[in-house]
Amino acid sequence: MNPILIRASVGYLLRHPWQLALALLGISIGVAVMVSVDLANQSSRKAFIASMNAVNGDATHQIVAGPGGIDEALYVHLRVAEGIRSIAPIVAGNVRISNRTMQLLGVDVFAERAFRSFSSPASSPPGNSEGSGQSSEDAVRRFLAGDGSVLMSARTATELDLAANEPFILEANGKSYPARLAGSPQGGQEGQLDNLLVADIAAAQHWLGLTGKLSRIDVKISEGDNKLASRLRSLLPDGTELLSAAGRTQTTADMSDAFMTNLFAMSLLALLVGIFLIYNSVSFAVLQRRELIGVLRALGVTRRQVFGLILTEAAIIGLIGAAVGVFAGVWLGEKLVVLVSRTVSDHYFVANVTRLSVDSFSVAKGFLAGLLATLVAAAIPAAEASAYQPRLTLSRSTLEARAGGLLPKLAWGGLGLMLVAGLTLTVSGNHLTAGLVALFMLIFGFALCIPLVVHFLSVSFEPLAGRWGGTAARLAVSSVSKSLSRTGVAVVALSIAVSATIGVSIMVESFRLSVSDWLNTTLQSDVYVGVPRGSLDRQLLADLVAVPGIIEHSTSRRSWLEDQGGRTQIIAIQMAPGSYRGTKIRDGRPEDVWQLFDNGQGVLISDAYAYRSQLGRGDSLQLNTSDGMIEFTVAAVYQSYDSNNGAIMMSRGTYDRYFDDPVIDSIGLYLEPGTDVDDIMTKLREVGRGRQSLIMNSNARIRDISLQIFDRTFVITNVLYWLAVGVAVIGIFGAMLALQLERARDYGILRAIGMTPAQTGMLVSAQTGCIGILSGIAAIPLGLMMAWVLIEVINRRAFGWEIDFTVPPAVLLWALLLAVGAALLAGIYPAWSAAHTRPALAMRDE
Amino acid sequence: MRIKIKKSVYLIVFTLIITSLSACEGDQQNTGAAPEALRGGSRLSELLGGDSSAGFARAIEPREFVFPRDHGPHTRYRNEWWYVTGNLDGPERERFGFELTFFRFSLAPDTPSEFDSAWQTNQVYIAHFAITDVTGKSFHVAQRYARGGAGLAGAQASPFKVWLDDWSIAESAPRPGSTHWNLHAEDAGFSLDLDLVALKRPVLNGRDGLSQKSAEAGNASYYYSLTRLQSDGSVRLGEKNYAVTGLSWLDREWGSSALSSGQRGWDWFALQLSDGSELMFYNIRRNDNSADSHSAGTWIDPEGVTSYLRPEDVSIVVTDSWDSPRGGTYPAGWIIDIPGRDLSLAVQPVLSDQELLTTVRYWEGAVDVDGSRGEQDFTGRGYVELTGYASE
Amino acid sequence: MGGQQILNGTTHEVRVSNLTRSYQEGKQQHHVLRGLNIDVARGESIALRGRSGSGKSTLLNLISGIDVPDAGSVEVAGQDITGMSERDRTLFRRRHIGFVYQAFNLVPTLSVGDNVRLVLELNDFDRIAAQRRTRELLGAVHLADRIDSYPDVLSGGEQQRVAIARALAHKPSVLLADEPTGNLDDRTAEDVLQLLDVMVRQAGGTMIIATHSATVASRADRILDLHNGLLSS
Repeated sequence: MNPILIRASVGYLLRHPWQLALALLGISIGVAVMVSVDLANQSSRKAFIASMNAVNGDATHQIVAGPGGIDEALYVHLRVAEGIRSIAPIVAGNVRISNRTMQLLGVDVFAERAFRSFSSPASSPPGNSEGSGQSSEDAVRRFLAGDGSVLMSARTATELDLAANEPFILEANGKSYPARLAGSPQGGQEGQLDNLLVADIAAAQHWLGLTGKLSRIDVKISEGDNKLASRLRSLLPDGTELLSAAGRTQTTADMSDAFMTNLFAMSLLALLVGIFLIYNSVSFAVLQRRELIGVLRALGVTRRQVFGLILTEAAIIGLIGAAVGVFAGVWLGEKLVVLVSRTVSDHYFVANVTRLSVDSFSVAKGFLAGLLATLVAAAIPAAEASAYQPRLTLSRSTLEARAGGLLPKLAWGGLGLMLVAGLTLTVSGNHLTAGLVALFMLIFGFALCIPLVVHFLSVSFEPLAGRWGGTAARLAVSSVSKSLSRTGVAVVALSIAVSATIGVSIMVESFRLSVSDWLNTTLQSDVYVGVPRGSLDRQLLADLVAVPGIIEHSTSRRSWLEDQGGRTQIIAIQMAPGSYRGTKIRDGRPEDVWQLFDNGQGVLISDAYAYRSQLGRGDSLQLNTSDGMIEFTVAAVYQSYDSNNGAIMMSRGTYDRYFDDPVIDSIGLYLEPGTDVDDIMTKLREVGRGRQSLIMNSNARIRDISLQIFDRTFVITNVLYWLAVGVAVIGIFGAMLALQLERARDYGILRAIGMTPAQTGMLVSAQTGCIGILSGIAAIPLGLMMAWVLIEVINRRAFGWEIDFTVPPAVLLWALLLAVGAALLAGIYPAWSAAHTRPALAMRDE
Repeated sequence: MRIKIKKSVYLIVFTLIITSLSACEGDQQNTGAAPEALRGGSRLSELLGGDSSAGFARAIEPREFVFPRDHGPHTRYRNEWWYVTGNLDGPERERFGFELTFFRFSLAPDTPSEFDSAWQTNQVYIAHFAITDVTGKSFHVAQRYARGGAGLAGAQASPFKVWLDDWSIAESAPRPGSTHWNLHAEDAGFSLDLDLVALKRPVLNGRDGLSQKSAEAGNASYYYSLTRLQSDGSVRLGEKNYAVTGLSWLDREWGSSALSSGQRGWDWFALQLSDGSELMFYNIRRNDNSADSHSAGTWIDPEGVTSYLRPEDVSIVVTDSWDSPRGGTYPAGWIIDIPGRDLSLAVQPVLSDQELLTTVRYWEGAVDVDGSRGEQDFTGRGYVELTGYASE
Repeated sequence: MGGQQILNGTTHEVRVSNLTRSYQEGKQQHHVLRGLNIDVARGESIALRGRSGSGKSTLLNLISGIDVPDAGSVEVAGQDITGMSERDRTLFRRRHIGFVYQAFNLVPTLSVGDNVRLVLELNDFDRIAAQRRTRELLGAVHLADRIDSYPDVLSGGEQQRVAIARALAHKPSVLLADEPTGNLDDRTAEDVLQLLDVMVRQAGGTMIIATHSATVASRADRILDLHNGLLSS
């Protein structure tokens, strides 16, 4: 590239710092949002996998069983009778210390050596170092002697304000036990062993109420050793499975895939809006220099050189913008990771993210996407510039006419793209990524139609505006269509951002309404009592339901079945007469369904499970029970927003028949009509005092908590679409500023023929307001379409939810206000600037 | 190994767990704990809870030995072992030696009861398994440990059994009046299965089975042996199986004491002679390498009649030495004279390198004996244990 | 001090007293007007003559209130506009001044009719009256058929005729024309001048035309030569 040409470019860009800054900002924010979401996703996932790997140590496989756990005799048998040594018993569960939930890992230190680095004597050969280990030795004695000594990471200990050897109270299974901090587990990267308590297996069994049981058996199988795996499998009883440890971690991590994919797609929206911004900036820079380019061409600069020049400019902007975006993305990622990991922890797995892990692949991806987006966006105006004839000055109206002629072509292209999107949706089955790609095609396709729509709207409103607000109003309206080559792209960007808010808001509102309706239906009991992650004591249960004022009760148990394909939630319910109407049957007559359910002739599956497994009424499914694989008939599909991995509901009788797990986690209590709920809860607490600490909630409270969690889930979604709107506002601002620059002379004339500064400013505001209204109107159909796709396609494919499509009018009104507000906000400075036009100066140059 | 093991049990338990603790102090500190524990007896007694044997039963008075009861564990005492060694012959003149030892260890005098769990225990077991392939000139060792709970390791009197994982010695066919056991041990690449039948009644060592280890009262153990066990079974080395036959020796000892501070290690001899008699002698070496006055032994004649041997009854001259490639020089040949019985025995290792690279390094190996009583020549085989020679 | 006072009657429409205006151009102070005094009587037609940069445009801008003098005063229709606020000057200009430019300066995004109508609406004509007057004026400049056309499809002469219609729409006290024929060929220029004659002079309007053309100047009642920021006779 000719250095003089580049100098001319740089000179131009520097003379228009606003345009340059806005283009940079657009691409930077787009890249930043994309990078930040990607990093936040990856960090949450990595934190989980890293801590799982740290906890699993060298275990390559794990033996797991159903809800009842593994009989410890199996482990002893494998070791003593079978002589299998590369196994270690684990008793795991959740406990609480000072209201903080932690994972308890009960281990046998003698078996640990082969598995976890923190128990390996090899790491500490008898050697030469000095120093007293008195406190450690004492700790060791207690660890086996049984005074409740536990290990926790130094940081966790600090956070809990515990010193070495300090006694504390540990709450497990609703009961309190004395425990003592013996030290910290060694190894594990920063944070990976946080929230982890290591104790002797005997203590863990006792605290968790798992006497005689193991949660799993860790297995180490050297690579290529197929004999041990098959030998183990042949030795395992029914209902027990040997699974790959990495596979289990992966499967759990994969549960959040749909959520993360959706989030990433949302983040691309900001980049998409950013692309329009770049296109806007570059094409404006080209339009402004159309004469200069004409002169250059006359001087013998080739088309290719002009194209290269514009693209070089764009590349420089793209490089800087993407670089800034990457840094901003890391910064933003640090904020977002808190939201992402909280949501992931709410719904999928405990992601204990202590800091953002900056993955070079994510960064490179974001950087390249930013650069590429810039070049693609700049390619069209660059091609246009290279097509300018030497010395031919194009009049504004010619340009506009040309743009006008382009509108139908764009719209046809857009319609075609939308058609392809529709086709993609119909043929892609339940593939999530395909659904998202179709959604983006739909958005892009509609975006191409927007200029025509806006043109049409603006032309049809013009006379109306003229009649209603005079020539000035008409001027405001007509200027939108008369300057589509400048404002069109800004309008599109705003439309997309606003339509995203419509689509997402409708989706969230519809979802929330469905969930809220479901909660109303499903929460039939008046009071729910449970033990946090534990088992309700049977005698206590009997005493609780004997409290006067309680007429009925139901019990429930949630447990997990695990196999190669992942984990399935089982809900075992002992129904009270009032419980039945709490479950909405999607297919089948409730009377028939409940009869099958109660007789143990069928199980119910949730919407999400049904979608995922493509099963329905009358189908059958297989579960790995204590008696081995057993076939169950699906009695019906029921409505549930409980778990997006789906659940299988069965009667307690059925559960007890097939699973060796007497645990009840919670009970629902039905009160005599007119009984005071608070009063009963006080009495219930009295019954439980000193026996088990109970979680007790009225149904109203559970409803509130559930909706709070629901709302929390969508916080990050809101943040993302606000960022997209932010980019769009910048777009409008840039477009208006550009327009302002071009129109300076016109404003001069208007001022000369007698428009006051206020009137001129109003005129510009009216123009931006029009852009806002027109964008908002154009955004509504796209928004509705997006909402539909989000609800019927994306959410279904990602999570299996059945959501009732509801359009709250307020959302549409709000979107219009948002569009107008955003446009007006963006127009404030241009309006001010127009109002302060000095007509004498504005008209002087020509 | 018998005294040293007390330390090594603690050492293993502590290195196992201490390394898992940083006790909020960081790496340097905790790696110091184990060697410190290893170094001196006084330090060891601190480890054991200040007054070393507080709360434990102690070997002070001679006791009445009752079998099979006393084959089983004595958990009120802090440590105990079942120590089997033997020499075996294969069908084609192959020659093997073996050692299978179970150490039992109480971490506290009482069984804890805080937790409702079969895993809760104060008992720790460690086992060593070694095979000397004399023909192939190779030596194989394995070490294991486990808690004495949940059925992973343990010992019981009736029917007799001591085990750790799948290593075990267990009564096979309880017949009144006979001792008939099965021994099984296996590791990657080598294994041993033996049928053991006692040819003699248990021999009480020391004074009626009370073996005094130093002047201090209670610094002693209860000690009996089965000195002649007919052994038949098989040895597997790699892919090869050998049907074997030979003689084994069981040492049983329990007590609560530790090594005295002035004692460095010991040389233990268990020799089975071709005339049907056996000799056991241990020479406790003081820090200056002189023989401790508490060294002692037992002479068992072919009929099983025993005599107590005091240090002044026995003279031992080292005739050869072996430098361990791991460091340290071991004696590797002895002339043992018992003038009172007109007995002279030349003892020679069947293989120089029978050093066990377990947590604590020691030498325990099969030996050949050439001897004479007066004019009569005879041969013999046995096992020798040498501790306190390895340079740490 | 100062220039010649040509007319000193009370019926003046425009009175410029001791008008001074200078611009900062780079580091140099460029004095455009240096204490200029002019009186224009009602109905009088004045030609301002001078070379490029002699201050003709500046003077017209000052008279119309588009620009503000450094010193001196401008009185139009009996009102001193120099002390007025920006807004008041704009309101005054809207009411009393009509302006025709060399570059026509039509609003490109408004049709011919709307260009005229906008001025009328700014002067509070109701819609019907504005419509009628627009037609009337466009008829008068022979462009009734182009009422819905946009300026950029019109020829220069046509555009200037629309500009004249727009300038006169609200019956201003003074019409200011800055080189109105500067961008036109002779023939078209003649037509435009003819139109101004008919619509302003014959209607008794006051007019100040800045021009360097002798032909144009010859039509005026009085010619003022501007030189170095002062009048020279």
